[in-house]
Amino acid sequence: MSAWIVRRLAAAIAIVLAAVTLTFFLLHLAGGSPCGQRDVQSVAPEVCARLRAQFGLDRPIWEQYGKYLWAVLHGDLGQSFWQRRPVIAALGDAMPNTLVLAGTALLIDFTLGLALGVYQAARARRFGDIALGNAALFVNSMPTFWLGLVLLLVFGQWLHLVPVGGTHDPVLCARLDSLHCVGDRLWHLALPALTLGLVGAAATARYQRAAMLEVIAQDFVRTARAKGLRERRVLLVHALRNALLPSITLFGLAFPFLVTGAVLVEWVFAWPGMGWLAVMAIGQRDYPVVTATALVASGMVTVGNLLADVVYAAADPRIRVRGA
Amino acid sequence: MTAGTWLALAGALVLAFALAAETRRAAAGPAGRRFFRHPTAAPGLVVLAFFVTLALAAPLIAPYPSYLQLDPVHLANQPPSGRFLLGTDPLSRDVWSRLVYGARFSLGIGSLAMLVAVSVGAAVGAVAGYFRRWVDALLMRLVDVGLAIPRVFVLLVVVALWDRVSLPVLVLLIGLTGWFGTSRLVRAEVLSLREREFVVAARALGGGSARVILRHVLPNAAAPIIVSAALGIGSVMLLEAGLSFLGIGVPSPKPSWGNMIADGQDRLAAAPWTSLFPGLAISLVVMALNAVGDALRDALDPHKEAA
Repeated sequence: MSAWIVRRLAAAIAIVLAAVTLTFFLLHLAGGSPCGQRDVQSVAPEVCARLRAQFGLDRPIWEQYGKYLWAVLHGDLGQSFWQRRPVIAALGDAMPNTLVLAGTALLIDFTLGLALGVYQAARARRFGDIALGNAALFVNSMPTFWLGLVLLLVFGQWLHLVPVGGTHDPVLCARLDSLHCVGDRLWHLALPALTLGLVGAAATARYQRAAMLEVIAQDFVRTARAKGLRERRVLLVHALRNALLPSITLFGLAFPFLVTGAVLVEWVFAWPGMGWLAVMAIGQRDYPVVTATALVASGMVTVGNLLADVVYAAADPRIRVRGA
Repeated sequence: MTAGTWLALAGALVLAFALAAETRRAAAGPAGRRFFRHPTAAPGLVVLAFFVTLALAAPLIAPYPSYLQLDPVHLANQPPSGRFLLGTDPLSRDVWSRLVYGARFSLGIGSLAMLVAVSVGAAVGAVAGYFRRWVDALLMRLVDVGLAIPRVFVLLVVVALWDRVSLPVLVLLIGLTGWFGTSRLVRAEVLSLREREFVVAARALGGGSARVILRHVLPNAAAPIIVSAALGIGSVMLLEAGLSFLGIGVPSPKPSWGNMIADGQDRLAAAPWTSLFPGLAISLVVMALNAVGDALRDALDPHKEAA
């Protein structure tokens, strides 16, 4: 088991290293130089040479790469042109917002998805199952940001139930200091989290339904029924426990979806997380921030997958035997 | 909407149904029966045929040019009516006309990018599965990395570094960041195919690696490739819509369903139709693609039952 985890950990580190390498070479290929764009010749050659020496751009590429790697390992992701502060500080402000949004969405995704999947399996091929199944297919086909806009239109603009953007009320709750403001933040979180969670739940429900149907057909379920257990107990205790396993795999798959979906949902709801930061930074030509968000996003997905693998191995001993 | 455009629209609808019916008649074999056994397969085909017809016959069906700002003072944000089927956007452009022309960009980019992704994925998967050993190990580690880096962020980085990307570059970018899943699928298929007698025989007869892969292995791995392409176009279209929505995909004023949604975002409460209809079009097409893809999987790959 421990050897298996070490191997997985090594693979995860290798993936993050590869992501760092990729961003370095993309930066290098784009050929930004302190003398301006490639075809602009407004800077004197000697000034240009001095600037290149100052930023280490005259060194061989492998040396520049080593320096970059070293800096990234020490948490130095460069300076943000636009915010005039270290990139890591800008990310530090944005990351908690993304984590809160993605975490809540994940919660909605799995509670709703599992509940719907179990309900659909219990009423398989009847009206409720078919209606929910088609609804889930439709939600799954929507652009996430468009669903966000529709929810915003209905609940924010027409019904005035929720605020239309941001993380908190800037006048009343500049800082998180009272119970009222916790409520205010939750209120702002509701719609973006629901948007992301609903799209995820549509997929989760589909998988959970299939997993439940597979388990329900097995002998031990018939035994449980034959013992005279109530259907509720058979489904929720005996069948569900065994049908949860595939959902853990889904849990790992959910991370790329959440990180990607968060970019667009954050943009729609002006939610200042990493995706919002990245898109804003593009408008400001602030590429150190954009590359840093890409790195952090890859790191988050990798860690998420690692977590899912470990949870899966903990839940299913067969994986450990095969993997070790 | 003039009488001519109404007629063309009706014609497109009739054509879509006719095409679906004709396909059903032509596909009478067991695979065709498995395909149409799916309750959503036939409606999916109709929807796809309809939107493809819209894209191809756009000049006949769209009442106005997609760029035309009719009258920014008096005709902006008009609700849907007989004259403007789906209303007008904040710049007084006809939403229906833009939706029709936008089908060209959204469907075109989606299918071309998927073509790139499937070609690269099939090539890499076939090479990895056929040669195994270090080639396989190297390529599959590359795929692991590709799957771990979220595509949207790669595309954001590229757009941030190279100002504007042109449409062909956009297609290439989406395609080249989307082949990882396909290559894994193809590799698994090739791993089992390469041990089969006919492949061993082809090798024994002196067939070179390239010839064996192209003539004997890949054609027999066609089913999973086609299915993954059909199921993948939907996600590519969603990606393109997202990028265009963020203003880094198809550049305005070219209409794509994604940037049309962005056009209406600021006037969402006053003129919701500008954002609602393009989003509905994307949802419908992606849903149809998923339905057809699911049915194709059952038709071509009878071992794998649909979930």
